Amino acid sequence: MTDATPLVRFSQVRKSYGAIEAVRGIDLDIDRGEFVAIMGPSGCGKTTTLRMLAGLETPTDGTITIDGRVTNSLPAHERDTPLVWQSLALFPFLNVAQNVEFGLKMRDVPRAERQAKVALWLERLGLEGFEHRRIDQLSGGQKQRVALARSLITEPEMLLLDEPLSALDAHLVVRMQGVLTRLQKELGITFVYVTHSQSEAFAMSDRVVIMGHGEIVQIGRPREIFRAPRNRFVAEFVGHNNILSGTVTQGEIDVDGVRLPLAGVSDGPAEIVVAADRMEIYGSPPSSPALKAAFVSEEFAGAGVICYFEGPGDLELRAQVPEARLAELAPEPGKPFWLAWAADSPHVLTHREGRT
Amino acid sequence: MARKPSIYPYFWRAPLLIWQGLFFVGPLILMVAMSFWLVRNYRMEPDFVLANWERMLTRDYFWSAYQVTFLRASIAAALASLFAFPASYALAFLVSETTRRWAIFFLIVPFFTSYLVRVYAWQVLLAESGPVNAVIGFVGLGPFTMLNSGFGAMVGYLTLIMPLVVILQTFSLAAIDRNLIEAAWNLGASPRRTLVRVIVPAAKVGLILGAVFAFILSFGDFVSPFYLGGSKPPTLSILIIDTTKSGQQWPRAAVVAVMMILTLFTVAFAAVGAAYRRNA
Repeated sequence: MTDATPLVRFSQVRKSYGAIEAVRGIDLDIDRGEFVAIMGPSGCGKTTTLRMLAGLETPTDGTITIDGRVTNSLPAHERDTPLVWQSLALFPFLNVAQNVEFGLKMRDVPRAERQAKVALWLERLGLEGFEHRRIDQLSGGQKQRVALARSLITEPEMLLLDEPLSALDAHLVVRMQGVLTRLQKELGITFVYVTHSQSEAFAMSDRVVIMGHGEIVQIGRPREIFRAPRNRFVAEFVGHNNILSGTVTQGEIDVDGVRLPLAGVSDGPAEIVVAADRMEIYGSPPSSPALKAAFVSEEFAGAGVICYFEGPGDLELRAQVPEARLAELAPEPGKPFWLAWAADSPHVLTHREGRT
Repeated sequence: MARKPSIYPYFWRAPLLIWQGLFFVGPLILMVAMSFWLVRNYRMEPDFVLANWERMLTRDYFWSAYQVTFLRASIAAALASLFAFPASYALAFLVSETTRRWAIFFLIVPFFTSYLVRVYAWQVLLAESGPVNAVIGFVGLGPFTMLNSGFGAMVGYLTLIMPLVVILQTFSLAAIDRNLIEAAWNLGASPRRTLVRVIVPAAKVGLILGAVFAFILSFGDFVSPFYLGGSKPPTLSILIIDTTKSGQQWPRAAVVAVMMILTLFTVAFAAVGAAYRRNA
């Protein structure tokens, strides 16, 4: 196998359960050593996609190739595609060491070698001394690391993760993200990470695959997806975006009678996205055109405060400002503000058609 | 802060405690006491003599009955667990929720009719000239003597315990987290190894409880060994009947009964201990 072939190739993969189509013909290549996040709202087909890769579901149509080999109907236990479950699925009747060595035991690895590897992996994940603990004696973070050790002990080419951090406390999530990215870099293997959390996907992955209604909507690097969502669905799903529609004439877009600058777009109807952190808030009408909007509420986010407004025609608008600026603006519900942005800030949606 | 003791929890426990006290602990104490009484002129007299114990525990017929009873109950528990498992597995994993509910319902139905009636039915079915021998006769075999044998008794025991064992096993198997089974496959366990390494250990409590109930019910059963087993060799339950009939020897029967209770306590205690034992 040459290195040019991707580790995994989905080609026109479809999965239906009776009349319900969970996955509708996806194409996706995943490279060796890549950290790919598959992201989307619940029911978008992301988990089904992952389960097909693990052999826990069989595609209805299309082919899944792993290492150049079509694996559609290869039974799960004959693959080396360990999965970390959301519930972790640790065996409660086995202790930590027994859980971790399970995969090696199933591959009939001799006892001495198993013990050496268990010791190595427990050490690698900071679980020394926990060998004989019962699973119910572990904390959430420790369980997580046992699940990782159990999955990685067979030294697979890829690790599949199904929302593994969604049950953890916020401070642990950040720590586990660190553990995961470090492991992935050290081992140099492929991680396929399914999540509905944008922050997890963007923080860790090399590439993000956005899924909606069983289809892949956009694939790209986190920054690309964040700054240049392909359509409304992605723009709404990813982060704090303002989505505005209007008519473009001569380098300006007409949004509810207000003409705002918009460079490099041909005349006609257009849909634009302005990220919340690119919005400017004015306490009084600025000299340049701006949308008048009534303040609704505020929400503290990591880097500042997200302010919500109601613009013309019930348009929902949001702008992110530093805390100090918020104090200056002294917003109160219903108080009018004027919102505008730099001419180069908007991103024009190229696929206006659907929500997917 | 010291909490004011509340009578509330005791209120709800009271009926059970009173019931158990009146109908289990009370008779048990009486029975133990009775095993030290004396029979004179076919009348019992309260006393404290070891004669009954000495008489029963030094007789071969007691120990052979004990052995037969213990062995049969063990075999019945093992066979019931083994025969029930495929059915329970199918009900837990292979059929729909609706089918499972109906199956559980039909497993309860046998308890509507008296066990004695069902055992009588077996007497007809298993008779020398009965339908079972007729079917076997078609292929040129038999007739076999199935009644008044260990085989007959075993059929009776299984009639009594199988539905219960299937129900207990089905519930414990159906309660297994499916993710554990998938995780086993995902980690390279074949379906057969998944069964041995994950499904059985995960359902351990229910499987052991099923076997324990099977053992307890068979160990104390009187109907099957009497009507289908032909009372030869006698089981402990038959021995109790015989002992009370011959010369009103209730104290000696009490010795047998106490021995049975002690055995059941030991077995149940060991089994429940094993069921809930955790990895250190």
